[in-house]
Amino acid sequence: MKRKIGAVAAATAALVVLAGCSTTPEAPADDAQGQDITLWLMGGDTPDALRDYLKTEYADATGGTLTIEEQDWGDALAKLTTALPDADNTPDVTEIGNTWSPTFTNVGAFSDISDMYEDLGGDKLLPSFVEVGEVDGANYALPYYFGSRYVFYRKDLYAAAGVDVPTTLPQLTEVASKLHDSALSGFYLGGEDWRNGISWIFAYGGDLATKDGDTWSSTLSDPKSIEGLTALQELYTEASNAPVTESDSTPWVNINTQPDADAPEAATIIAPGWAHWSIGDLAPDPEDDTKTIPTWNDDVFGTYVLPGVDGGVAPVFAGGSNIAISAASKNQAGARELMTIIFSPEYQQMLGENGLGPANEDYVSSLGDDQFANALIESALSSKLTPAAPGWAAVEGSGLLEEFFGKVNGGGDITALAAEYDEKIDALING
Amino acid sequence: MSATSNGARIAPRRTGVPYLLIVPAILALLLGLGYPLVWQFITAFQEYGLAQQFGKAPDWVGFANFGALVSDGEFWAVLVRSLLFCVVTAFATVLVGVLLALLMNAIGRAARLTLQISLLLAWATPVAAATTIFIWLFDRRRGVVNYLLDLLPGVDMNRYDWLGHPLTFFFVASILIVWMSVPFVAFAVYAGLTQVSEEVLEAAQLDGAGGWQRYRLIIGPMIRPVLSIVLLLQLIWDLRVFAQITLLKDAGSKSGDFDLLGTYIYKLGASANDFGMASAVSIVVLIITLAISWVYVRDLLAQDKETR
Repeated sequence: MKRKIGAVAAATAALVVLAGCSTTPEAPADDAQGQDITLWLMGGDTPDALRDYLKTEYADATGGTLTIEEQDWGDALAKLTTALPDADNTPDVTEIGNTWSPTFTNVGAFSDISDMYEDLGGDKLLPSFVEVGEVDGANYALPYYFGSRYVFYRKDLYAAAGVDVPTTLPQLTEVASKLHDSALSGFYLGGEDWRNGISWIFAYGGDLATKDGDTWSSTLSDPKSIEGLTALQELYTEASNAPVTESDSTPWVNINTQPDADAPEAATIIAPGWAHWSIGDLAPDPEDDTKTIPTWNDDVFGTYVLPGVDGGVAPVFAGGSNIAISAASKNQAGARELMTIIFSPEYQQMLGENGLGPANEDYVSSLGDDQFANALIESALSSKLTPAAPGWAAVEGSGLLEEFFGKVNGGGDITALAAEYDEKIDALING
Repeated sequence: MSATSNGARIAPRRTGVPYLLIVPAILALLLGLGYPLVWQFITAFQEYGLAQQFGKAPDWVGFANFGALVSDGEFWAVLVRSLLFCVVTAFATVLVGVLLALLMNAIGRAARLTLQISLLLAWATPVAAATTIFIWLFDRRRGVVNYLLDLLPGVDMNRYDWLGHPLTFFFVASILIVWMSVPFVAFAVYAGLTQVSEEVLEAAQLDGAGGWQRYRLIIGPMIRPVLSIVLLLQLIWDLRVFAQITLLKDAGSKSGDFDLLGTYIYKLGASANDFGMASAVSIVVLIITLAISWVYVRDLLAQDKETR
């Protein structure tokens, strides 16, 4: 018992100390010198070279240490929700999915950085991303990078089947169905993969939600949305072997010919631009025999942008992220210093060279002019963001979109489902 | 505090010491569980969303959150699904655990040691590792389960997506949880079995009791207290199961059809930012847990009275 009392006493003492820490407000330093700060990056999209650059530059500028913590996209919403309001645990600067920016900006999670806006790039910054990080004309979250989605296909399989690259969306379904059999997906697309699926809604002129006054409402039941969903359901049913429950998938696995297989499992996929690093002829990795290294082969693989209904380019989901300073951060000065480094010409240039669309349009040329850069830019130009509604992050977090697209692609009654999920989304979308 | 009672009768002294001794335990409970519980209870009666998380004052809404739950079809579906899952999994765990304990009791030393080590290894496997292994076993493309089933003549399980259908999803989840919790049950029941005296069993055998009769009439009643606490713990654990379902959902579907109470609460609160509703559901789970436990506590109290 003695030992137990001792342990409890120790625990109580620790709690008192901890409580002491959290209640002692540290005066916000206005000097970045020596401030150690934390940056949250989402997923592995930012390559190591860029991370190292940020750390070195930050140390040079302030003498402090920059710690980069990578957050998994899947848990990010929950982590941001719990960490951002808490001064002791908040990251000082965080990357945030562009579609979540309105939600967090509206509740006051981020610091007002309007005074830095001009210095960080001003009008040159990607307008649609700036807009989702704005409240009443003040800037809170700014663009970090943009990405876009386009189509990768197997030239060898298209040639063998005698089909050409489609130029309209209905043609795409036709081509994909022709290529399709039980071992090969004409167009590999997960049933719950709404981030790709919404392109069909957009292409037919529909939208996810519209704003009337101050109120957002879900528009899945709009006749144009229904038309798009019908086309998507047809494509999925006729040309995809992917499970109906697959959402965030890695379709490049399916378009590559795997080492122990004779043929690939997909003739066509749609994926974010950076996926091209993962597509190609696979050769064993000399350093690690459990891995393979893909080498892009122009004879086998090709790209095209998702075609519109009557030709042209279909609007795809504008991928990418914003970046912002946590309002609860005790290291505002250090965080602002890091923002300056991120929006510097050198870093913007590095983003582009690594296939991430730079926030500042002056550096878009750094993406290069190969087929990947061209497809990225062409698809990004007509890309669309999800609704800038205050409750959009909750809509995404609730998994309703995965559920809805899964049920549509599973062969459900689109009109009935659209009405059902409009109602469910409406309950969340206004925050 | 009269220290002198030099009589023959030794009455329990009424001092404050026992109460003092339980203070640390109560304090630890209050600090560890009290705060979140109180917060959860308060939040269940508020409209508490992301704005409140970032400092806006919450509105009191009385029983509105509970009212919304009662009229929400999804909540009822999740609740019924969770209760079914919990009961099936807990009983399966106890059944397999008891059988293994009986086996341990019956076999030789070397075989028993092998079995015990295997069980300990299963018990020691971290949740994330065990779940990952099960995801691989049941993988649609490369899983050994589909491969083996496919070898059977007339069975076509090539590419069968176990995690893609609610029924098979919960089947896999149930096997995983049974696999992970059986060692605990087996060891606890085995410990109980070693307390059953040889003499009694021998006497029963001489009186002509067969194996099944010996189990039903002697061993069963003697290990009943162990069985009931083990079953209770399994029911509670399986009702609030979270990690395995989350990890399996990550590998399968994001759809609500695959949610149990644990993941449903997490989704409502942490992902959809409706902390008020999430707290309300948590309170419901708490009440169910207390109701299950009450059956056991009542039992304990009754036994206590008998022995007095």
